[in-house]
Amino acid sequence: MDQNSRPRRTILESLGEEIIRIITPVSICMFLVVILVSILNTNNDSSFSQSISTIATVAYTEDSSDSTWDKLKGALLNSLVFVVVVTAVTFFLVLLFYFRCTKFLKYYMGFSSFLVLAFTGGEIALLLVQDLSFPVDCVTFLLVLYNFTVVGVLAVFMSKMAIFVTQGYLVVIGMLVAYWFTLLPEWTTWVLLVAMSLYDLAAVLLPGGPLRLLVELAISRDEDIPALVYEARPVNHHNSGGGLTQRSWRRRSSGNESANSGCNVGSAHLPSGSSENRAYVEEVGAAGGDSALSAPLIERRIDVQMHLAEDVVPGENLALEGIGLGSSGAIKLGLGDFIFYSVLVGRAAMYDFMTVYACYLAIIAGLGITLMLLAVYQKALPALPVSVMLGVLFYLLTRLLLEAFVVECSINLLMF
Amino acid sequence: MERSEEALPDSAGLVLPSSTITANSSANSRGPPQWPTIDGPLGLSEEDSIEYARRFFKFGFLFLPWLWALNCFYFWPVLRHSPSFPHIRPYVVRSAIGFTVFTALLGSWALTFAIGGERLFSHVWDELLMYNFADKYGLTGWI
Repeated sequence: MDQNSRPRRTILESLGEEIIRIITPVSICMFLVVILVSILNTNNDSSFSQSISTIATVAYTEDSSDSTWDKLKGALLNSLVFVVVVTAVTFFLVLLFYFRCTKFLKYYMGFSSFLVLAFTGGEIALLLVQDLSFPVDCVTFLLVLYNFTVVGVLAVFMSKMAIFVTQGYLVVIGMLVAYWFTLLPEWTTWVLLVAMSLYDLAAVLLPGGPLRLLVELAISRDEDIPALVYEARPVNHHNSGGGLTQRSWRRRSSGNESANSGCNVGSAHLPSGSSENRAYVEEVGAAGGDSALSAPLIERRIDVQMHLAEDVVPGENLALEGIGLGSSGAIKLGLGDFIFYSVLVGRAAMYDFMTVYACYLAIIAGLGITLMLLAVYQKALPALPVSVMLGVLFYLLTRLLLEAFVVECSINLLMF
Repeated sequence: MERSEEALPDSAGLVLPSSTITANSSANSRGPPQWPTIDGPLGLSEEDSIEYARRFFKFGFLFLPWLWALNCFYFWPVLRHSPSFPHIRPYVVRSAIGFTVFTALLGSWALTFAIGGERLFSHVWDELLMYNFADKYGLTGWI
């Protein structure tokens, strides 16, 4: 059967499915953060805002009685400090990666996810139990938490775990860190989001940016960056061989044989678009630990990788296996994106649900735009700026303009 | 579930004959599965799986029933098809039994605690309750 006579999968099936597989976990993370914020913040409104003391609030602690200008100045100062710390840590990370300390980085990743799952997760679970007055005893609670944490660290640490479990735990980690971020004061959060997206833009696109260096190092060495990265399940394209759906870190000999056999048959009738298109979107986000815990900074990196080819030449396939970047069509999105999108939506949830819907749509639209830009430019692009800027814009517009409109309409029984 | 969304490879013979056997019913009629893990060709091979199943089983004894449950979930095709994978199967079955027993014990204790309440335990109930326990030791407010 001639391959060319078969209808290709529609763009909806191939590209759409890949996009859906990355939008679903982002949406789930945002939804969970919104739920957490709604449950936990209705009961105690401002009792937590003063108790946070982290790197993000070291310059200025917001007080609700300050004037707007003071709050803005304080928020700018806070964000500046935070971005400076993140930049320093990222450069340190690049240095470590340059000196091939990947083991140390892996252990650090495992340790930071342990901290997040055990302490932040435990805290939030405790708050939930308190708020809902759930009669659970300490033995059960601690045992469940211990189980959850240990399996979570294994899922993040080991690359050969069930995909669903790893993905689930990454979403949970993103949700926990995002909730923790929403506990920051309001002005600081918004200015921090904008500052982080600007930093992301600079770090990925400027020639001296740390993330660009990291990506180039990784490509030149054919290595995987050790980071907390969410990898969507690869979509099995019809025209490519079944052996191509293996994950990048699999080096099984039988896998290579099957890929070769699949591609040898395929090479007899190469379709036109046979070149690999690979693009990266990278970004680093870091979360400051609680100063009382003196926890190390948690690094998150974002890496959106899109595979647009429908078929692969065998030689290229082997080269790609050598690069180790995944010859499958899996999209990878780092955890920092999850976290900052969820922080935006969580903050919007603290005001009203109307802003949540607006910001959610803005973020998804931004993500779609970013992926399209990726397809056009095919080089490292930051994932945060478009979504966050759109999200902040929509939040301001909704809060200032849309709300008045909707409320007036509802009061006069006109609409809604 | 995402697994069912993966398109089965076309029948033009380009691919391995049963490379994407998933956990749906149409796959069962094809015969024994080739991949022991639930991820299909994205997961482990049979040789690696034995080591993983054994390690998960042994680690589960550190009061980790969730790890046993994960073991069963990950090697679900092993449980479904009895004659295949004779090396992996004992570990997975024992993990399943361990998980059920542990959960039954823990569940009954938790339910007794929750339903019994103060009537059954008197003043100890208050001490064992998680949020009181946390307040006593100052575990909240770290955030």
